[in-house]
Amino acid sequence: GTVTESATGLPVPGVNVIVQGTTNGTISNFDGEYSIDNVSDGDILSFSFLGFATQEITYSGQSTLDIQLEEDSAALDEVVVIGYGSVSKKDATGAVDQVSTEDFNQGPVQTAGQLITGKVAGVSVTSGGGAPGEGQTINIRGQGSLSLTSSPLIVVDGIPLSNDAVGGSRNALDFINPSDIESMTILKDASSTAIYGSRAANGVIMITTKKGKGNEFKFNLSTSTTVYTPTDYVDVLDGDQFRTLINEIGDDAAIERLGNTNTDWQDEIYTTSFGSEHNLSTTGRIGDFMPVRASLGYTDQDGVLKGDNFTRTTASVNLRPSFLDSHLTVELNGRGMYTENTFANRDAIGSSVDFDPTQSVFDENSPFGGYFTWLNSENVQNSLAPTNPVALLAFKDDTSEVRRFIGNAKVDYDFHFLPELTATVNVGLDKSNANGRVVTSDQMPSSAQDWNGAYNSYSNENTNKLFDAYLTYDNDFDVHSVNAVAGYSYQSFENDNYSYDSELKEDGLDFEDINKAKSVLLSYFGRFNYNFDNRYLFTATMRADSSSKLNPDDRWGYFPSFALAWNLNNESFLESSAVVDQLKLRVGYGEIGNVNGLDDYNFLTKYAGSIGGASYQLGNQFYQTYRPEPLNEDLRWEVGKTYNLGLDYGLFSNRISGSVNVYLKKTEDLISFVTVDPFTNFANAIDDNIGDMENRGIEFEINVVPVRKENFNWSIGYNISYNENEITNLPDEVPVGGINGGTGNTIQLHKEGFAPFSYWVFKQVYDENGRPVEGAYVDRNGDNEINDDDKYLYKDPYADISMGLNTNLNYKSWDLAIVTRANLGNYAYNNMASSKSFETRATANAILRNLQSDYYNTGFVTTTETNLSSDYYVQDASFFKLDNITLGYTLPEIFKESTLRIYGSALNVLTVTDYEGLDPEISGGIDNNFYPRPRTFAIGANLNF
Amino acid sequence: CHADLDQDPIDPDSFTETNVFADAQEAKSALAKLYASLALTGQQGPAGQADITGIDEGTSQYTRMLYSLNELTTDNAVVGWGDPGLPNLHAMSWGASNDFSTGMYYRLAQEVSFCNSFITNAQSFGDDPEVAAYIAEARFLRAFAYYNLIDIYGNVPLVTQVSTVPPEQASRKEIFDFIEAELLDIQANLKESGANEYGRVDKVASWALLSKLYLNADSWVSEDRYSDAVEFSKMAINSTYSINTTDANGNGSAYDELFLADNNSNGAQSEFIFTANFDGNESKTYGGTTFLVHASIGGSMEASEFGVNGGWEGLRATKALVNQFDYAVTQTDDDGNPVEWEDSRAMFYTDGQSLEINTIANTFTDGYAVTKFKNIDSEGNQGSDGGGDFVDTDLPLIRLAEMYLNYAEAVVRGGAGGDLATATGYINELRERAFGDNSGNINSSDLTLNFILDERARELYWEGQRRTDLIRYNLFTTGSYLWPFKGGTRSGTAVEDFRTLFPLPGNLISVNPNLTQNTGY
Repeated sequence: GTVTESATGLPVPGVNVIVQGTTNGTISNFDGEYSIDNVSDGDILSFSFLGFATQEITYSGQSTLDIQLEEDSAALDEVVVIGYGSVSKKDATGAVDQVSTEDFNQGPVQTAGQLITGKVAGVSVTSGGGAPGEGQTINIRGQGSLSLTSSPLIVVDGIPLSNDAVGGSRNALDFINPSDIESMTILKDASSTAIYGSRAANGVIMITTKKGKGNEFKFNLSTSTTVYTPTDYVDVLDGDQFRTLINEIGDDAAIERLGNTNTDWQDEIYTTSFGSEHNLSTTGRIGDFMPVRASLGYTDQDGVLKGDNFTRTTASVNLRPSFLDSHLTVELNGRGMYTENTFANRDAIGSSVDFDPTQSVFDENSPFGGYFTWLNSENVQNSLAPTNPVALLAFKDDTSEVRRFIGNAKVDYDFHFLPELTATVNVGLDKSNANGRVVTSDQMPSSAQDWNGAYNSYSNENTNKLFDAYLTYDNDFDVHSVNAVAGYSYQSFENDNYSYDSELKEDGLDFEDINKAKSVLLSYFGRFNYNFDNRYLFTATMRADSSSKLNPDDRWGYFPSFALAWNLNNESFLESSAVVDQLKLRVGYGEIGNVNGLDDYNFLTKYAGSIGGASYQLGNQFYQTYRPEPLNEDLRWEVGKTYNLGLDYGLFSNRISGSVNVYLKKTEDLISFVTVDPFTNFANAIDDNIGDMENRGIEFEINVVPVRKENFNWSIGYNISYNENEITNLPDEVPVGGINGGTGNTIQLHKEGFAPFSYWVFKQVYDENGRPVEGAYVDRNGDNEINDDDKYLYKDPYADISMGLNTNLNYKSWDLAIVTRANLGNYAYNNMASSKSFETRATANAILRNLQSDYYNTGFVTTTETNLSSDYYVQDASFFKLDNITLGYTLPEIFKESTLRIYGSALNVLTVTDYEGLDPEISGGIDNNFYPRPRTFAIGANLNF
Repeated sequence: CHADLDQDPIDPDSFTETNVFADAQEAKSALAKLYASLALTGQQGPAGQADITGIDEGTSQYTRMLYSLNELTTDNAVVGWGDPGLPNLHAMSWGASNDFSTGMYYRLAQEVSFCNSFITNAQSFGDDPEVAAYIAEARFLRAFAYYNLIDIYGNVPLVTQVSTVPPEQASRKEIFDFIEAELLDIQANLKESGANEYGRVDKVASWALLSKLYLNADSWVSEDRYSDAVEFSKMAINSTYSINTTDANGNGSAYDELFLADNNSNGAQSEFIFTANFDGNESKTYGGTTFLVHASIGGSMEASEFGVNGGWEGLRATKALVNQFDYAVTQTDDDGNPVEWEDSRAMFYTDGQSLEINTIANTFTDGYAVTKFKNIDSEGNQGSDGGGDFVDTDLPLIRLAEMYLNYAEAVVRGGAGGDLATATGYINELRERAFGDNSGNINSSDLTLNFILDERARELYWEGQRRTDLIRYNLFTTGSYLWPFKGGTRSGTAVEDFRTLFPLPGNLISVNPNLTQNTGY
């Protein structure tokens, strides 16, 4: 027979023709012709070619079988999850990106955020460091708030999660096994997020987990082993350099303190570590009415900081029975997670940079477990000395177990008398429970004279409940189609924390502390979608939110949004275009509130009782004290108004597709922690609705498929986004960004007319050789004094331009995926250099301390607040990173209907940057005691049977 | 479900107004906060739930900031740390957003608000005489806060009710009159001299504060109130309070007892009119005496001799302070620098310390260390915190010796109601304690204004008074008196006169349009 393309009638070469369930197959030739033998009646012939819908024909003795392949419009008909429903991608009116399983980042991925790093324009995912299971900061379209949470709302199978951290956990997204995720949908603009109202101010990430499907049970077993290697250390003087220095600058006492070895303390605390991951999942159907998916996962990973370990066991079940001729469908999701953490003592990171490289790790005379310690005459540790980093790791045992369950039951009922109308009830529970303890051995070097170890423990329980009920009406009338949703949502968030401190107990003080809080969010929402002839699309949403965090008069916020879209490709002038498959112009506007991260009960007069060691003596008695708490009766919703203009395009059979978005987000009544006159309140700063901010940006995404052949496929994805944040109104200047060195120094400032978290620094003066002159700064106001009035705002930690470039290659059984990223215009404050590279530090406090190598560049002798605040330390941290290379090979049919894919991955392969610190990618921009991100190599296997 | 939106605090450490003012006993915990605000930094010891934000919590402690603003800016002390705004203090180059002047303003204004709230709420108890005393004490504390405010900032808002309305700025004179009127008015309800518990004030505190106020009246509001200063100093002197003469540790001087860990019970308490109380276990802070003891230790000093586990290598004396004791030097080192003195108030550590300061930053050994404050009791034992972190020693905010000096100065400045002979007697009482005998006594002809200023330095140094004293003598900013690194130069230089007042916090000027910044800032 011959295979042709139905639209054009042209022959299609390279079509895969196979007798299903066998290895019997062939490929169409250049003229689209094929022939195949050994076909019996009843056999199913499958014709597949990328970009076209697969056709299955039951053979019934034909000698010739011509096939017309239809272009696969799946890419356009892809269903995109939006709040309280879904929509086909071509009908979406907002700025929405969906990343599905096949597009996820590959290799050893521990947390959901890693799946989409670098994949979506305007979405930045920055890990806090290189620890196993480490959390990520996810920002959509820049920094959205000053005081409140800037992270997006995460919705898992319809359950919006709490923003509260789970104590004892490394990462709020740890609970979900990435291999259970089917897709992640990012809602970026207000017209798509407004349905989540107040919770969606910073965008929404909708996580949809894999569901049961298929008739028979299929299994997937995956396993991988990973090696983590430290790549780089903070530059410090080595033993010989340090000896030379001390002999030069030290007095006799200092020189006498020198040891005679060369110890690389960072090498002592970091190591190559290993991890492994195993997942088993099954999907199928019980009876003929209940699709099932179940999975088990286990991850065990050591950190490169010695002793760090993270293990996670996850289990999930998804059941979707349907009854009454599918009028009633029920979806049950249960997801359990158990993690065990062993936290290596991160104090070792800073102390390994500080510690004198001429000393040995051990000293047999040390009273502290034989570890070298800077002792004073009392034979306890000098109270200003760093503690031996190896001892820090050895004598602190910090462990936790976290259990979390997220489950929901969702019932959809299509009314018998009106099947277009569906009633949905979704009930969810997110409960987590963490227990942790920190045992510090009495062998730990300490300056306390009565030191006999410490035991601290804590528990943390969060209970979040959800109840949603809504009606959906969906109907077509001729060329009009309508989809309307109206509903009600109730959420409560409770947390209950307990802590225990053995040292307080020894001192006879209150050694137990309990913290509790509860808040409630109640909402009504509605959405109306109207589609005229698949050409004009209109969406309007409205959400009314009420939060217990706000006073009864300002409690309700109303958040509307509108969006219009025009499918130009369905207009007569483009309909028959051979080039344009999709061309959709979108415009949207929406308002969204925010109180996420706001403390509870700010509007109530309340008093805080003092705890542990803050009693006051009157007479012979110590009294607990009652402090009136800062009050703000007028807190209102922070409101973000977003304008978005977008274009989605698909060209040349969607071999080129993507989108462009331009947005402006104006946040008004910004809640920030700002100065209040303490004569008028009980504090000097409160959360208040003050100030405005703007985020502006452009995003561009393009996906290109240069080669689409039977044995060879190549696709390239590129995204670039430009974002600018600016505080447009703030009567107050708010210093933020605490740094090391001195006490209480900050390096960033929120100020009107500048990006939030801009660095607030002195302008360094340089000599003719380009060396910074110690203590010399530009007297910007010309008053012959250098004080705060001479500081200026210089750069900020956020990238102006972020890019992601990734590519996938499939050649026969081989697959290769490469992910790269670049950030431009992000600046970091090198706190390791600023606080640890001045000369007097080396010999101060009757001990020796190593210096960071930047000392050779500056020769600074002392440190002061002004040195710390020099713009010299604000450095361009633009970077290009080769994040992920994964190469896989698939063995088809290793046995019946089974495939096995084996792969190797390398992560964090290469970083190109001018930044002088350890890693240019620092969340928040202050580079201080950073847990180095290891280079990672993994091999794994994936068996489907 | 709408009713669910009305959530009440469920935290066990959170209370409502009804809880706190349920009865006099509960209200005492709210009163305790008014006192604690001048000693601790928040609701969790030593740090955790800060009263003041935007500044390091330990740094935000009242007496630590008082030390920074009133001692580090003077000839008494330097500090080697690079904390924000700190190096600007001794260099006299602070700006409008200086952390210390800002933090102190916040602390004091907040204390006024705490007091205002307490005074209003406690009224509901009507006639309970104990509560009447609470209210009078709260009014004293508010007056004390305002005393500090006009001393440090001059013109500040006068607020007596909690209200969110941005307050108007009052003149220094209006504040002065308010403090005076309040202190006179509350005497009816304050307890009699010596009748209150330790740590709480009685009538004598109001007299003592009036004495301080009147002594500075000329300097602050150009009014000659020296006669009033004499009168109220005298009332305080004639109260049940007495100069401590108990040499509890038997080292030959009863002066050092004032600054020991058990100074609330070793006899020194007889001299304390108003104190900030500390305890190494129950009342912990990184300010207060914990700061004074730790920060004064460094170089070759043995921390354990001061009852703590280590030094912070910060505070040292300038040569100018050491030179106040020139006349009493009994031994010098090879370079001719003094190392021992007859006057037991000269509490300096000299081993390995150079008298001359070449470098302030990070160089503890430049300048003599001061050993005045210790966490050792009169038995020689370390204070109650076994770890040696936190200090028990209470800090006198007003002690009787100051009243002696106030009396003398007011008399010499022409105040009526006193006489030179009595004044000389008072000064000699202090000097006899310092010398252990009458060898240091002076004649009434020696009692000049300059002598009194020097004597104040010797008696009260590092107790938070020096800047106010120098301003009263017009020596703080002028070229008439220079000390090392005054104005940021090694030999010292005059600075502009506007620096006799600190700036109002720059941020508040933008938040409250009713405020006008002090001249020069």
